Amino acid sequence: MTFTGAIGALCMFPLRLIISACVALGIHPNVLTFVGVLINVVAAWYLATGRFVTAGFIMIVANIFDFIDGKVATELGAVSKFGGFWDSVIDRFSDLALFIGLIYLYAERGRTDYVMITAIASTFALMTSYTRARAESLIPKCKVGFMERPERIVLFMIGAFTNRMAAVLWVILVLSIFTVADRIIHTWMELRRMEREAGA
Amino acid sequence: MSPRALTLPARVLWHAFFWTYERATWQYDLMVLAILAFVWLTPPGWLGDPVASGQPGLVELVLRLFH
Repeated sequence: MTFTGAIGALCMFPLRLIISACVALGIHPNVLTFVGVLINVVAAWYLATGRFVTAGFIMIVANIFDFIDGKVATELGAVSKFGGFWDSVIDRFSDLALFIGLIYLYAERGRTDYVMITAIASTFALMTSYTRARAESLIPKCKVGFMERPERIVLFMIGAFTNRMAAVLWVILVLSIFTVADRIIHTWMELRRMEREAGA
Repeated sequence: MSPRALTLPARVLWHAFFWTYERATWQYDLMVLAILAFVWLTPPGWLGDPVASGQPGLVELVLRLFH
């Protein structure tokens, strides 16, 4: 088992209990998704005020909701097309909330350089989702590129808990740019291949 | 251009940036370690960190333990 696989397996133990509790209580997965974004807004406020450790703990709670909604939907038999759509839309708001919190913090400290870095990182973070969604309307699958939402969220938490948010933003920025580029190139290559096969 | 035509370091960079590996693979672990090393070992002052500048980096903290 790999290092990251072991961490994932370890985290699944408490999450299984929470999922079972939500299923027993019959909480609708769309409600869990919405509660997740509200908690993320609170985390963003703590980021904006420079209280990173508190923000980190709140992000953990928010992302438990984000993580379990799909699993609860499966176990309740409540999987729906709207649920998937709702989840991905709400996830974008959650992402943006955290970035806006940091933009506020850096703006208040007069650091326009980091305001720009955060704004560009948030743009590319959104574009990673958009490029995949748009690509998958044209080709069967576009799951290339490293920096997806789970990686971003874990990086935000690491940045918050260890007070290394600037380094985290640089990583998110650079790897999000490469992820968007990967997805554009992959889609272009796949479409070319499909056109060649259709012409043959 | 095929990545097979590249030298080993160039091929590593190619696969790092044109990422196609799944999570929980050894390649993923390696990337995670590289990211954590950058985040924790880079002194915040080098990046002009608006919040952590002036604080020692991890390397500096470890060195302090031995002096």
